[in-house]
Amino acid sequence: MHLRLDALSVLFLCILVPQIFASALAERRGSFTFWVFVAGMVLALLAGDAFTLIFGFELMSAASWLLVLRGDAKPATLYAGIAMFSAACLIPAVFLPASSLAFVLVLLGAGAKAGLAPLHSWLPRAHPAPPAGVSALMSGGMVKVSLYILIRYGFIEFDAAAQPWWGSVLIVVGAASVLIGALRAMLEVEMKTMLACSTVEHVGLIAVGLGIALRAKAMGDFGLASLALQGALLCAVAHGLFKPMLFLGAGAVKKATGTTSLDWLGGLMRGMPRLGMLMLVGAAGMAALPLGPGFAPEFLLLHAVIMAAATGGILARIGFTALLAGLGLSAALALGAVVRLIGIGFLGRPRSLHAAAAEDAKRGTLAGMGLLAVLCLPVALLPGMVLELLEPVIQLLVPNSDPAPLSYAPLSLGVLLALAAGVAALGLRRFAVRGTREVPAWTGGFGRPPVWLPFGDPVTQPSATGFAEPIRRAIGRGLLAPKGADPAEAFLFFPLSRLNLRLTRLAEHIRRSTIRQRLAFVFGALVMFLLALGLGEGG
Amino acid sequence: MVLLILRLLATVLHIALVFALAPLLLGLVTKLRAWLLGRRGAPLVQPYRNLRRLLHKTTLVPDTATDLYPIWPFVCFTAIAAAAMLVPGFCLGLLTANLSDFITLVGLLALARGATMLAGLESGFGFGGAAAAREALFSVFAEAAFLVILISFVLIAHSPTVDGVAGAFRMGHIGISVSLGFALAAILAVALTETGRIPTDNPSGHLELAMVHEAMLLEYSGRFLLLFEYAAMLRLMVWMCLIGTVFFPFGMARAGEVLSWPGGLLLWVGKLGVMAIALSLFEISTAKMRVFRVPEFLGVAMLLGVLSGVFLFVASRIGG
Repeated sequence: MHLRLDALSVLFLCILVPQIFASALAERRGSFTFWVFVAGMVLALLAGDAFTLIFGFELMSAASWLLVLRGDAKPATLYAGIAMFSAACLIPAVFLPASSLAFVLVLLGAGAKAGLAPLHSWLPRAHPAPPAGVSALMSGGMVKVSLYILIRYGFIEFDAAAQPWWGSVLIVVGAASVLIGALRAMLEVEMKTMLACSTVEHVGLIAVGLGIALRAKAMGDFGLASLALQGALLCAVAHGLFKPMLFLGAGAVKKATGTTSLDWLGGLMRGMPRLGMLMLVGAAGMAALPLGPGFAPEFLLLHAVIMAAATGGILARIGFTALLAGLGLSAALALGAVVRLIGIGFLGRPRSLHAAAAEDAKRGTLAGMGLLAVLCLPVALLPGMVLELLEPVIQLLVPNSDPAPLSYAPLSLGVLLALAAGVAALGLRRFAVRGTREVPAWTGGFGRPPVWLPFGDPVTQPSATGFAEPIRRAIGRGLLAPKGADPAEAFLFFPLSRLNLRLTRLAEHIRRSTIRQRLAFVFGALVMFLLALGLGEGG
Repeated sequence: MVLLILRLLATVLHIALVFALAPLLLGLVTKLRAWLLGRRGAPLVQPYRNLRRLLHKTTLVPDTATDLYPIWPFVCFTAIAAAAMLVPGFCLGLLTANLSDFITLVGLLALARGATMLAGLESGFGFGGAAAAREALFSVFAEAAFLVILISFVLIAHSPTVDGVAGAFRMGHIGISVSLGFALAAILAVALTETGRIPTDNPSGHLELAMVHEAMLLEYSGRFLLLFEYAAMLRLMVWMCLIGTVFFPFGMARAGEVLSWPGGLLLWVGKLGVMAIALSLFEISTAKMRVFRVPEFLGVAMLLGVLSGVFLFVASRIGG
């Protein structure tokens, strides 16, 4: 056991600590497994040697498996399988000398645990299963620990053997995660599943940034490498703040209404105003809107992709152009998903009595979310300062780089927005008729609902499924497997599980064979062996 | 110091003109369209009258709306207003030049769009939700197409800001390039979609089922509707300024040289007029598309954007 602290581990500890505080404030203070899970993550980040790293990582995996199992037994098996696969890849990799094989193994091991395509489909199943505090920490923290391993090995330990194609692989994998994650986030109806899909998207974004940086570093373009790294690391910081916040909020909604299905919610802003406002902050981050915490990373990443399109061969350039189109697609999809989350879940009319009777969240949950929201402020408004704090990490990962200052100035933009809003408000106050009158909604001229439906007929309101339908028709059919299944499941996991079934049946068939069949088998094997031997000797 | 004051003056003039002329531009397009269809059309100042009428109307709030109901018009308006301050019109070198990064612009337009979509979902009625869902669908392709075009802009001009790109294109070293032609075609499709014109949406439609932009605002009235309508006018102005500045930057004034301002102003008004004529001609010659044809239309735009990048790379390979 050997501990060590450098800039990279300090950064990831800083990402991790607020989430731990927030989840502990919200719930799960008394659970032993929860604290083992936390200890595993911290140990993995503090590790000074490969053994400690793997020990912490596996402690984290095992404890999180127990937590998932307690929430829902069904995805726990899949989760355990992925965790074992990840361990089987990581354990040999960290003891191998720096080589391409070792990097691929680390990518498989850490990528599977981080939720990179095509090994991402467990994440939307397993992350929503445990209580919200654990989901928050799994989505915001555990995923980051896996990325930390990827960064540490890709950039530092295996630096000597780095090849540009390592970065390209990472970019392709990340782009696939971004697209699938954003699309599924738009289509999912369960709030927590949707947030987990969005985590896949953000992990993909980080991977794209890391891939561009790795490729540029191997090609000797340090300016681009540091720009992409800035984007990726800032994205990790921002995602570590707003995603746990949204998960905690989803948990509070579940507690208040008994469901997280958007099709049964609606109008929560009335009963849960404070939670609703905090969710708005998180949602602005998730949709990467300007002046929100998610915009600066998106800005840097898009600029990195545009800059990367000026490097390399023509195929790589065309690839980066397509990547930019994909990122644009998924940015708009993320906005759509957020509008759906807020618009269907928190605005409008309640779709069930539980949603109508929801009361605001407990003080602990609000405090935890508030803590994360306050920490979002510097990332949202002073990203340049945060980037300066990231400077040592970037120097560690890409030595002798000189990152350009951030050209996105949220404060000046904020002044412009405040100016416009102030003038508009003053003008309306001075010239417009003041006051408002509350009237029955017009709803296209339809009559009032009957008295036994005080909030109107829920079926006359757009549902979450209906809201996603145009996108399901236009994009889902092309990108997803038939019946809207995740392509990774349809084309990777189901064939594998079918193969497993078939092999099991074959083995069972052999095991159940009669004595004559067995004797025939042994005899046949002997004949084959002798034939082979004879042919080998005689020839 | 003098330079700074001049730049400030130019910025103030630009903002004042953009905000003052945005309704007139919409009125002009509507008038031209009516003329081309053989009708007399509403007077040019009709949009101003509409705004004034809304100012004097009582604002009604549906009983099913939440407390955030008044927020969305302000968010939508401020985002578009900030975009209008960023995109240069008659002159380059405004005080906001450094802020006018294309990606910031994309973000501001997305912010306005998100606020409008939430306004549609706010009171929980069917038309608003359906329109918001369609808007989400269109925006997915429009944003992708717009971002792809940026590759050719930024790589040709070596600058990520609208101001810098226009400045580089104005110098004339670029000439007429195939990739910019593709980019122009793509950005026109995106602009038509974003501003809610035919073929993706009909600004003068009155059938709720077929509306997209207007249907999201059906529950808004009075001063909140005014903000949304003014934002729509400004959006048309912003897109026209953007296309004019980036693709036809000839004759644009420089903020530091007062003497170049009148020429720049005249040319700017002329460019807006030409674009208004082109828009109305295009609108009367095409029909509105079915909703699920729009992704194909914008998909073609996206493809043109990618092609513009490809041509750029091929050209740089051959030329360099």
